[in-house]
Amino acid sequence: MSRNGQHDGPGRARRTSRYSAWSLVKNGLGAGSGWERAFRHHTPKETYDVIIIGGGVHGLATAHYLAENHGITDIAVLEKSYIGSGGSGRNTAILRSNYLTPEGVRFYDRSVKLYEHLAADLNFNVMFSQRGHMTLAHNDSSLRTMHWRAEVNKLQGVDSSVIDPAEIKKLVPYMDVSSSTRYPILGALYHPPGGIIRHDAVVWGYARSADAHGVHIHQKTEVVGIDVASNRVTGVRTADGRRISAPVVVNCTAGWSTLISDMVGVDMPVQTFPLQAAVTEPVKPFLDTVVVSGTLHTYVSQTDRGELVFGASVDPFASYSTRGSLDFVEGLAGHVLELMPGLSKMRLLRQWAGLCDMTPDYSPIMGLTPVEGFFVDVGWGTYGFKAGPVSGEAMAACIAHGKPPEIIAAFGLERFDEGRLVGEKGAAAVGH
Amino acid sequence: MTRPGARRRAAADHRLGARPGEVIDRSRTIEFRWNGVTHTAHPGDTIASALAAAGVRMFARSYKYHRPRGLLTADIFDPGAILQVGDEPNVRAAHRLVEPGMDVRSQNTWPSLRYDVKAVNQLAGRFLATGFYYKTFIKPERLWPTYEKVLRQFVHAGEVPPDSEQPYFDKRYAHPDVLVAGGGPAGLAAALSAARAGARVMLVEQEHQLGGHLRWGDADDLRLRDELVAAVEAEAGIEVLTDSVVAARYDDNWLALVQRGLPHVAERLIKARAGTLVVAAGLIERPYVFAGNDLPGVMLSTAVRRLLNLYAVRPGRRAVVFTANPEGDAAAADLRAAGVDVVEVDARHGRTVVRATGRGGVEAVELSDGSRIEADLLVTAIGWTAPTSLLNMSGANPVYRPDAARFVPDPGATPDGVIAVGGIAGDGTREELVAHAEAAGREAAARASALAAVHAAGRPDGPAATPRPAEPVPALGLRHHPELFYATPTGGFVDMSEDVSAKDILTAVKEGYDSSELVKRYTTATMGPAQGKLETVNTVALVAHATGKTIAETGATTWRPMYTPITLGALAGRKFEPVRHSPVQPWHEAHKATPLIAGQWIRPEHYGDPAAEVRNVRAGVGIIDVTPIGKLDLQGPDVPKLLNLLYVNKWSKLGIGRVRYGVMCAEDGVVLDDGVTGRLAENHYLMSTTSSGAGTVWEWAENWLQTEHPEWQIHITPVTTAFASINVAGPKSRELLARLTDVDLDNTAFGYMNVRTGTIAGVDNCVLWRIGFTGELSYELHVPASYGLHVWEALMATGADLGIAPFGVEAQRILRLEKGHFIVGQDTDGLTKAYSAGLDRVVKLDKSDFAGKPELAWQAARGEYPMLVGLRPLDTSVIPEEASQIISDGGYIVGRITSSRLSPTLGHPICLGQVDAHLADPGTRLTVRLRNGSDTTVEVTAEHAHFDPEGERQRV
Amino acid sequence: MMLLTCPNCGARNVSEFRYVGEAKSRPDPETATPEQWRRYLYFHRNPAGWISETWYHGSGCRRYFGIERNTVDNAQRSAAGTAGATS
Repeated sequence: MSRNGQHDGPGRARRTSRYSAWSLVKNGLGAGSGWERAFRHHTPKETYDVIIIGGGVHGLATAHYLAENHGITDIAVLEKSYIGSGGSGRNTAILRSNYLTPEGVRFYDRSVKLYEHLAADLNFNVMFSQRGHMTLAHNDSSLRTMHWRAEVNKLQGVDSSVIDPAEIKKLVPYMDVSSSTRYPILGALYHPPGGIIRHDAVVWGYARSADAHGVHIHQKTEVVGIDVASNRVTGVRTADGRRISAPVVVNCTAGWSTLISDMVGVDMPVQTFPLQAAVTEPVKPFLDTVVVSGTLHTYVSQTDRGELVFGASVDPFASYSTRGSLDFVEGLAGHVLELMPGLSKMRLLRQWAGLCDMTPDYSPIMGLTPVEGFFVDVGWGTYGFKAGPVSGEAMAACIAHGKPPEIIAAFGLERFDEGRLVGEKGAAAVGH
Repeated sequence: MTRPGARRRAAADHRLGARPGEVIDRSRTIEFRWNGVTHTAHPGDTIASALAAAGVRMFARSYKYHRPRGLLTADIFDPGAILQVGDEPNVRAAHRLVEPGMDVRSQNTWPSLRYDVKAVNQLAGRFLATGFYYKTFIKPERLWPTYEKVLRQFVHAGEVPPDSEQPYFDKRYAHPDVLVAGGGPAGLAAALSAARAGARVMLVEQEHQLGGHLRWGDADDLRLRDELVAAVEAEAGIEVLTDSVVAARYDDNWLALVQRGLPHVAERLIKARAGTLVVAAGLIERPYVFAGNDLPGVMLSTAVRRLLNLYAVRPGRRAVVFTANPEGDAAAADLRAAGVDVVEVDARHGRTVVRATGRGGVEAVELSDGSRIEADLLVTAIGWTAPTSLLNMSGANPVYRPDAARFVPDPGATPDGVIAVGGIAGDGTREELVAHAEAAGREAAARASALAAVHAAGRPDGPAATPRPAEPVPALGLRHHPELFYATPTGGFVDMSEDVSAKDILTAVKEGYDSSELVKRYTTATMGPAQGKLETVNTVALVAHATGKTIAETGATTWRPMYTPITLGALAGRKFEPVRHSPVQPWHEAHKATPLIAGQWIRPEHYGDPAAEVRNVRAGVGIIDVTPIGKLDLQGPDVPKLLNLLYVNKWSKLGIGRVRYGVMCAEDGVVLDDGVTGRLAENHYLMSTTSSGAGTVWEWAENWLQTEHPEWQIHITPVTTAFASINVAGPKSRELLARLTDVDLDNTAFGYMNVRTGTIAGVDNCVLWRIGFTGELSYELHVPASYGLHVWEALMATGADLGIAPFGVEAQRILRLEKGHFIVGQDTDGLTKAYSAGLDRVVKLDKSDFAGKPELAWQAARGEYPMLVGLRPLDTSVIPEEASQIISDGGYIVGRITSSRLSPTLGHPICLGQVDAHLADPGTRLTVRLRNGSDTTVEVTAEHAHFDPEGERQRV
Repeated sequence: MMLLTCPNCGARNVSEFRYVGEAKSRPDPETATPEQWRRYLYFHRNPAGWISETWYHGSGCRRYFGIERNTVDNAQRSAAGTAGATS
């Protein structure tokens, strides 16, 4: 076993030192850090079997499962910034599977199942905290939608139920469930397996595992062109002037997915919108549940560090700007205090934005494209992080077998030309 | 004077005699409590200065290792002085002024600050190194929730009690020509010159006094401060805000300011649209990284000068001053003048501090030459950080200058609307900085004026404007400063808030987290309360060291809003959540209507017994307030063209006095809205929409008119609230209405689906529609809104002998369900196209064009679409809940119940539901999974309508 | 909050406006193929750069108008054509 990963040949697997309490003690007693690099630098090769564009959770999970499940390890993951710098590191790290449509529920349920064992599978603690997830209903029609979701979830074996204000108050004592508010809380969809996770750890865990399998992760490597000959992908060109060839190129980007697909001339039903989030200063833990209010466009959770993490819906107009807005934090604060009035003295520490690729039916675009060898795993809207593991698993299968597995069959690009939209739009239109 | 329960009163024995620049009012003494002990302060003292005056050195315990921590910066960014005050967590004690009776406590210490049990973590520290939690607690999986609970106990923060008071917050808008962020010498000078050039100026200072670093300077500094402050205060064009902060800058100089210290307002958010933003944030002193650098008694030179010169507090008795600049030298001089023994260690002569040692505070300092000095205070003055946050938020990332040992703004990247002055922009003498700021202030005023001219010219009637190009502000020079970041790359803390050591940074890089961003995320360095203002540059320097790159190559992470954290209360402000009521609302309230929230509208759901309300409509007469129904007044010769375009059915031949039902689809064929439109006169129509669709349909219609058919002569006026709308329904409705109107109600004169205008209860200009949502003979009255209550009361009074009763939304829902009318958004969803809603007879594909036509044509041709059907439960004792799923034998979802009620008229449950195409034939039996998990059987009915499917009752 | 310039009202806070979307031309509904129609319904150019788009001044003069905006930095210039013009 090589101490310095730099000497391992490309494409060759290495054994990584295991993380455990014992190894922690051993390294703590040693003079310095004896830990190996979790992921290494490599000089890009001229050719790979598979090039994955985007070093977020989707790209890295795809690499991991290609290696782990299909023995394909000659892979380059090209990341224009640092790994996890896009949506993977900017989302609010909420996991759930209580979707509306059978195909959505099945898909996200698989993701939650993979997340439940991810720490052990990757030997990297991703800190999945299944603390429960509740979606509040403030009016009749949203309560009806919550019941709709609960009934669909139950039929799919997903733990979901509608609870009443008294039960909400028991789970979240700080919540104002009185009927005197402008948006009284009538009930909530409660989903015990939902929760939060350490999003960066998921990225790093997949990266470390992929690296151990021999996958090359090239950070600060931006793709500026994709070569196509006779309607077949042949490789990519990078900002530093390299040409790297590969018969398979996978678009695993978010925010920039249309720009990458434009490089091969594949049109996308995607519009890029900023999605903002914010975090407060820490306070002692008081909120054990993820709280979402569609009517108030707000979601809140408290991390193990004590911070409240807030999110909302996407910005009102398309943009690639991630500078954020005051409107967002004003609205957010107002809505959070509407729900939990006792928090007015907490302070907002930081706000940020990520980019979301919105599709017309609130569902992703996965699988093959009209250009041979060019695969997409894009259009993730505001829910890409939740789907990281299952997307990686499904895309790996799709690439290995040349056709999409059943679990993502509904998410093909062709559905838009054929007018077969996925029904999650039903809930979004009715719902909140 | 001792409070009951207070244990003792601490003496302020570290307070010095009067200082020329002090900000405390010695004529008064106030009391407050610190961890249960009564202390005294003078007005003007911060919590920290008052405690320091009493000799308190330890203010807090650190996050992970629970190490003792004291004052470091003695300002708002001090990581060591974040305390609980009453029910307010995380108060910046080196900024917050003492108020009488304050209850101040250290956070996250148990059982006490001095004897903190979790301090045992220090012993385990080598195992708690960065990233430890990613490497352990992995197996067994089932124990992770337990581990997590333990981890959460370590949260390093104050608390929000559940019964926290909710103070008053508010907001203000401001439109200054020039906004100056920072009230130091440069900010003062820039504000003055901008105001003298004619600009309206807002000057914002985070601290409690203007003057910046001049306040703790020498006599010349104080004289200059007095001059500048006096001039600013005399200048009418400058509004000064102290104890206020420009927290963030957004696009087009939209600025978030928080103003504190106002009477009766906890905090005020000021939203300012500034012509030009002048950033005069000054410089923040950067800590030095060395072993023991977090011990209480290790302070920055600016902290020491603040304590000495603003608060007259002696921070120690014997000091080592490690200095690399004149400010450090001045701190040494100030300490000597205050009677402190001082040993200077001059970095410019190659001497370095390598270690501070002591238990609970500094006791000795070790130097690079191996010598050891006994001291209780170690002062460092090793360099500066430009807090460029507001410039980052403007899109300008700072660049590193090794000669000045700091990141500086890149003037080329700064937008025209933003100018940096003072220390953040460069170095110079007092006079140079003031002169530069004066030039910048004049240019700021000129740019603001030019922008205002451009905006004025942007209006159609605006004056022409010749754009004035922004003129560059001459650059300030940079003073040479040695690069001093750490004594050794393995000793001391780089982030005191997060307990991140220098060694942690090296470990992270070694493990592959080898960029500033990954180090930040892996170690959490720079993620604490100061958001990297003290920590970022040292972190970057260590990353650069570990990777072998330069600091410039390594680069800093982005500074995002907020500059300093601001309360949720200030961001939220007062609650402004408008609701809409009909003019009849007082009557509803007087008659105990149960309110229903329907979007912005508050409506009567029922008046006690919705089933009785239904029966009364079927048997006699009822009235319902339907004011929220959307109403559009359409005028012009081309209205039929618009109706033909918006609705799926035909409108060309609608005669005067006729009303027709129509459905609108979006361009994807999905049902968007429905309602009736009546033709009042040759070129005059009144359209109704659903309540929730009123705004959408209006904008949708305008969009077609303005963007696709600007040549059509049509004028649309929304009149939803211009009318109060009342539906009079039931077999006796004609009899009732005839008593109140001059309109001929005879069935031959005014038949079903007709419209008339006339007088009702003496009110002119009323519109009467004869339509039938309830399935009964009914008239929908639209009366001028101010007479709504009058007409309602007249109906109630006049109809008393007919058994009139009001009915609410719930009764209306039941009535319409009995009639099989769908509700858009309940029985349809975001994918329901017109044919799926059962609108075969309404959609007219032979029209030349209408919104959504191609999709509907293809839907019709393809068939096999889900269908909305009437459903009747076979077990009449079961009312399937709405949203119950319809399942196949194999348990697959094949549909759902969209509406369901017990019909008071029929005496059995009735439903509407969406089912897959092959299950839509009348007579088909379907299984419904109820919420309780049991199944029941329903049968598809021939029609949506369960009652009077021929519609005879409404035509009488 | 960025400013948006309404041709009637001048520069106003963007919160006064509703974003309609990329300017698109509506295919002839009589002759459009399903694929053409669905491109119109669902597909976008979505460039990182200048784009022609439609806005609605809902809290002002209620005008629909076209504008060119840079989606990277939100800079604006007035549209060459009228609202709804082909992109």
